[in-house]
Amino acid sequence: MKPDPRKPPVLAEKLLRWICAPHQVESILGDLHEEFIFQAKKVGLQKARLFYWCEALGFIKLRYIKRKKSPYSSTFIFSHDMIRNYFTIAWRTLSHSKVYSFINVIGLSIGLAAAMLILLYTKDEVSFDQFHANNPNIYRITSQFISTTGQQKGLGANTGFLQGPKFAAGVPEILHAVRYHGHRNDIKKGNEIKSEEVFRVDSSFFSIFSFPLLSGNPQTALKEPRSVVISEEMAEKHFGNKNVLGKTILMKDSFDKDARFEPFTVTGVAQKSPQNSSIKFNFLIPIVTNHGEMERSQNWFNTFLNTFVVLAPGTNVSLVEKKMNLVYNADAKEAIKEVAAKFGVTDRKVYRLQPFTEMHLSADLPADNGLTDHSNPQLSYILTGIALFILTIACINFVNLTVARSLKRAKEIGVRKVIGGGRMQLVVQFLGESFLLCLAAFIFALALVQLTLPTFNHLANKALAISYLFDIKLILGYLLLFFATGLLAGFYPALVLSGYDPVKTLYNRMQLSGKNYLQTSLVVLQFTIASFLIIGTLTINSQFNYLINKDLGYNDEHLISVEKNNLTREEAHLLTLELEKDPNIIAVAPKNGGRWNTAAKVSGNIELQFAYETIDPQFLPTIQVPIVNGRNFSDAFPADSARSVLVNETFVKQAGWKDPIGQIVDFWYDNLKYTVVGVVRDYHYTSLNEKIGPQLFTMKPRNQYGRFFVKIKAGTESTSLRHIGETYTKLFPLDPYTYKFIDDENQKRYESEAKWKQIMLFGTVLTIFISCIGLFGLATLSAERRTKEIGVRKVMGASVTSIARLLTSDFLKLVCISFVFAFPLAYYAIDKWLQNYPYRVDVSAVTFLEAALMAVVVAFLTVSFQSVRAALMNPVKSLRSE
Amino acid sequence: MNRAYLGEFEEIVLLTVAALDGNAYGVVLTHEIAEQTGRSVRLNQIHSALQRLEEKGMVKSDMGEPTAERGGRRKRLYSVTAYGQRTLQQVREVRENLWSRLVKPFNLAIDL
Repeated sequence: MKPDPRKPPVLAEKLLRWICAPHQVESILGDLHEEFIFQAKKVGLQKARLFYWCEALGFIKLRYIKRKKSPYSSTFIFSHDMIRNYFTIAWRTLSHSKVYSFINVIGLSIGLAAAMLILLYTKDEVSFDQFHANNPNIYRITSQFISTTGQQKGLGANTGFLQGPKFAAGVPEILHAVRYHGHRNDIKKGNEIKSEEVFRVDSSFFSIFSFPLLSGNPQTALKEPRSVVISEEMAEKHFGNKNVLGKTILMKDSFDKDARFEPFTVTGVAQKSPQNSSIKFNFLIPIVTNHGEMERSQNWFNTFLNTFVVLAPGTNVSLVEKKMNLVYNADAKEAIKEVAAKFGVTDRKVYRLQPFTEMHLSADLPADNGLTDHSNPQLSYILTGIALFILTIACINFVNLTVARSLKRAKEIGVRKVIGGGRMQLVVQFLGESFLLCLAAFIFALALVQLTLPTFNHLANKALAISYLFDIKLILGYLLLFFATGLLAGFYPALVLSGYDPVKTLYNRMQLSGKNYLQTSLVVLQFTIASFLIIGTLTINSQFNYLINKDLGYNDEHLISVEKNNLTREEAHLLTLELEKDPNIIAVAPKNGGRWNTAAKVSGNIELQFAYETIDPQFLPTIQVPIVNGRNFSDAFPADSARSVLVNETFVKQAGWKDPIGQIVDFWYDNLKYTVVGVVRDYHYTSLNEKIGPQLFTMKPRNQYGRFFVKIKAGTESTSLRHIGETYTKLFPLDPYTYKFIDDENQKRYESEAKWKQIMLFGTVLTIFISCIGLFGLATLSAERRTKEIGVRKVMGASVTSIARLLTSDFLKLVCISFVFAFPLAYYAIDKWLQNYPYRVDVSAVTFLEAALMAVVVAFLTVSFQSVRAALMNPVKSLRSE
Repeated sequence: MNRAYLGEFEEIVLLTVAALDGNAYGVVLTHEIAEQTGRSVRLNQIHSALQRLEEKGMVKSDMGEPTAERGGRRKRLYSVTAYGQRTLQQVREVRENLWSRLVKPFNLAIDL
């Protein structure tokens, strides 16, 4: 029959075929066609087409869509016998094809385990600080400067001594305020002195936060000035038991030169702080204890501690903020004027409130200054991403393998349909199989989680436990995960398999229709994810190596740093003399303790912010940093300690000096002027995550040192350390002795990078592994399916290599296609990530090539095993059957 | 009297099927009804009515031969069942009965 050139619209016909019940569709289509021909003759082709469409759309009605009921009765899908049958058949098929089941169970259980770990992690992250009974009414006082032009800057979460009590007194909605200040104290136990972090808090601490006490009265525990609440851990450590109420601890302020050890009475023992708490304490003492500091701190502008407040339930927060600022502006009026007159400060300070539970994941106002475990929400996203990737890849394996394997089961499906199995029954059957596999995977996953939890905790810096699982929300989450995975993995195969036409499966050799685009694209997706992660890992790796291997501009080898608070010039001199008695000690150089920053005027009106270092003439030679211009400090110039400073190259650049020697640095608020005598070569005095900034060195005698550097000869670590320790305890018997190696210290700065490197590595290895076992399964099935073809080819004289190449190249092509998608994505992602680092590696083509090579090699090894095996098979065997 | 409900449109379709005497199928029915009643009928309405009639057991259908003008598809040919015939008969009787009871039959002044 010649096809009529005047055809009705194909799309409309398709639509009709799709919507109309099968027993109706032929006569409806026929009628419409006939009418179309009639209309075409009458009113022309265009109008006839339009007419056809109108008529076709008229058939979108339930009446035509409704399928004819089967005249034969069918067993109820969920009948008792059928359920048993589903499981029997599922068990038989699964145990019959072990490779397939194994691949699926392993893949799924790794995917599920990863997802479970991440669920645990995220649960912990979002539940941070949620356990306090006063939530959501706890807030932290924050502040911000607003310039005269309305610009917002200087966001900060720190407050001073005054803010808490003043605001609590002036704003009735504030029920309690508590100040929280972390401070190092020396604690004496027998002859041993330890430096411990002690928190000074108001006595309202336990009224605000729900930290249960094992013994002691929370209301009165911190009322007396010489009382201390200790954690159960510390009670065990110091006294050997937890029953320690009324016992005394000897403590002294480590920063206060004149402080003595004083007895503190234990008034409470606190339970260990929960792991998801920003406040973790071992020692709590009343904040009023330190009188010296109190006096110095009666100042609105000192900011060095955290203040938390509890608002009355249902309070309007912005109203409280307004009232707080009214109190501040009234009470600090004189002080603000004074500062404005003295320093020319015109910025206005505004106080705000930050919900307590938001601190943990806040990017602008993190939980710091005595608050712990602040975390970057970015890391949660990365972790979730990796877990989703792994789970997706495992599900893809499932879909791919099940569909590919379905050809072998086509006959089974045909027989089931012929003897009366309905489509729904088949869907239930296949979904049942996928759920059975998923259940096995789930049980394995639980075991895996338990097994890997310690490692994960270490990497993610958490103390998660499997007992966390016993939480109704989390259990619901896992059930959801389980069902989602079962459905995701099983739904598509069930749909495809149940749709097979029994006539075709029983009479013809079954072939999947089309080129099997689904399988192709899923494999491409898998390898896109895998290559993306490989590139990411390689980049993180090279960035990490770059950071730890980069020349810091000074020599940190065999360099020891020992902390000593309030080290005076005389003490430092004595110490140096004592230490240098050991010939293994090359040099000793005292230095200021923490990181000091200050500002001064340089050349006219330019004001510069810089790092402020107090050193002595030995310091620069000890860390081997050269002077590039001028001279070092020297004892030969007595004026050095009073009038001279050294600056680094960045300082010179930012000050805009052509000839730096002899320039004046004006500490205008102190009325002190210094002369630059030398320029120090730039070196990385902070971590490489920061750019080198301006640095200034002084020998001002009033500044005390906080630690000293000791350079020792290589290989003499143990004798030198013993000598340093002995000298230290001889000279400073009442100070705790701690030392560290500077190169270790420098490495530690990149701990978070090191951890994320490892997590990425794990994720990548798992992803590649699961992708590859999927590929392995596909290759196996494809080789099986093509047994006859291979047999024929061999009989016709094809070589083993050519056949192996034939089978392998199909999959390798897909892997190569995946690079097209992975490369741009990875480039974008790593470029963005590297922007965070001022000192970074370049995105290089080599990384991409390496990743590509790795993916291809791994995929090749995976596939070639099966291909070679198939190619080596004896063709007589494969061709004789059937 | 217990009789099946027959809509006005269904009645027309059923009568037309009867009139076409075994040659009734979708397109022909549309054209015939359009011609006889002067109203435009769409195919899906005809098919819908035929399906209802078939469900009620008033028509039965058989597949005819495929023809070229139908794109090689077969016709579904409808014929009236005995039950359908009886129903039509009853409808007619009711109408005639009612007409006969008119005391003053209408006299239309102008034949439109």
